[in-house]
This record gives sequence, C-alpha cells and structure tokens, in this order.
Amino acid sequence: MNPQYWEEVEIGLRRELGTYTFTEEEIIRFARKYDPQPFHIDPEAAKHSIFGGIIASGWHTVAIWMKLAIADRANSQGKSPLLRAGVSPGYEDMRWLKPVRPGMTLRYSSETAGKVELRSRTDFAILLTSNEAHDENGELVFRFTGKGLVQRRPKA
Amino acid sequence: MTDLLHFEDFHIGRRFECGPYHVTKEEIVEFAREFDPQPHHLDEEAAKKSLLGGLAASGWHTCAMTMRMFADSMIPLAAARGGIGSPEGRWLKPVRPGDVLRAEAEVVEARPSGSKPFGTVTFACKVFNQKEQVALILMTPIIAARGAP
Repeated sequence: MNPQYWEEVEIGLRRELGTYTFTEEEIIRFARKYDPQPFHIDPEAAKHSIFGGIIASGWHTVAIWMKLAIADRANSQGKSPLLRAGVSPGYEDMRWLKPVRPGMTLRYSSETAGKVELRSRTDFAILLTSNEAHDENGELVFRFTGKGLVQRRPKA
Repeated sequence: MTDLLHFEDFHIGRRFECGPYHVTKEEIVEFAREFDPQPHHLDEEAAKKSLLGGLAASGWHTCAMTMRMFADSMIPLAAARGGIGSPEGRWLKPVRPGDVLRAEAEVVEARPSGSKPFGTVTFACKVFNQKEQVALILMTPIIAARGAP
C-alpha cells in the first residue's frame, strides 16, 4: 500500500531520481542570472581560478535535484518519499563537496530519513529526507537534508 | 589586489547590505517551469488553494535570488573562492510577485584553514521583503583568501 499520511511513511525508503548531465551552456545561463561569479560564467577566467575551469553554481546543482524529484513524484504513483510534500520550511546541512563541471553526469537520490512533529499545527508534520548526488565514479558530490510538510492522518 | 577584502577583514559582526531584488511573476513562473513545476509556483488559481495561499516563488528560487544579491553586492568586494554549501536555510514567508527583497549578511564565524592560504567565513543572511518581514534565513560559508602577511 502506498503511504497516504505522515504516520505511514517508512524511514529508509530510497528513490533513485535519475541522472542529469550538465552542459557548459546551461551552467553559464543559470549563473549569469543567479550567481555571476567568474568561475561560473567566464571560461577564460575560470581556467585561471582555483577550479581550473567552469563549474556549476551550487544552487544550480540543488535546482536540478528539485527538478528530478518533482519528475519522480509524478512518475512514482504515490510511492515517492516526497509524497505530496510540495511545501517546505527549509533545509539543513547542504554541502557542495566536489565541483560540478560541464559534461559531468550526476545520479541523484532521495531517502526518507526522519520525522518531526510540528508545535504550531497538528494537521501537517515534517518528513526529513536525505538527498544526494554522485558522479560517474560513485563519489558523493552534493548532499542536503530536506524538510517537507506532509499531511497527518486525521484524528478519528 | 590589496583593496579586496581578505579573510582577516571579515570580523565577527561585520555586516553587508545586499540587494534590492525585484520579484516578478514572469520570473517566478519561468524558474518554476524549469526546476520546480508545482501548481503553487505556476498557477494563481491552484496556488490560492495551496498551503501558500497564493502564487509564490520556489524556495530554491528565493535562494538563487539571494545568491544573486550576494554576488552583486558582497562577493565583488572579497577575495572569494567559492561556497561550500549552506548548513541551514529556512523559508519563513512566501515570496510573491511584486515583492522587493533585500538581504543582510552578517559574519557569524571566521575559521582559518590550518596551513592553507585561506579561511572559511560564515555569513548569516536574512532576506527581508518590502514589509520588513524576514522571508528567508540562510547560513552560507564562503572561502576567502588570506591577505599578505
């Protein structure tokens, strides 16, 4: 049975969200709009930076996680750990561990990691998710803990 | 370049004003279409019935807008070498079409990196809307080069 409510969600349920290949054009387009630092937008300047070439904005890496998570939720027929948790109060422990370079393919995942009750309301509660992206060599590139609001089972 | 701010210049409590950022409906929808296609970020009618009570920007979009304010106002002043993540982010108020955001970034921690010629400077960043409500709080450590000894 697919979980309907927060109470029914199992911890340790893992979803593979799929892969995404970053192109230089796309990295530059995102960064021009939101993170215009030389090592994100200027290939020449990036060569001379400590990164030795263009790298994606960390916020771009996160945005792609969201894109894949939403697509997975639509495809999962209710099995996604994100459920209908479309609204979130925040995140924790986001780490950009390795640079994301043009041509790299990341494999994203999401796993239910914990449950927290809210003091402010009883109709929703928080589901914690541990979210990761690995590169082609299986190395961890990116992680964060997500918090999604999930509906609680109505009291009888 | 000696006029850039180096690790040593970021003493605890030093504050930087960033922004403003004018939020448009077009941009909210454009970002959401590409990265966060949920009804409450795309469609005003559907958004009214959602927990957000009306069309609002994706939280990741608000983070990206904050990064832009940071990149325009503070980063050019600093010998910055990139970010390493964000230990915490809290979306406290929905960000709506027509909102004008500004950010205050305050140094809350500065840690030298052993023998290496840089250090980690952590900013607590508060993003305010035009009503002076805090819409987002986020912690962001950046790597800053050390100055010449």
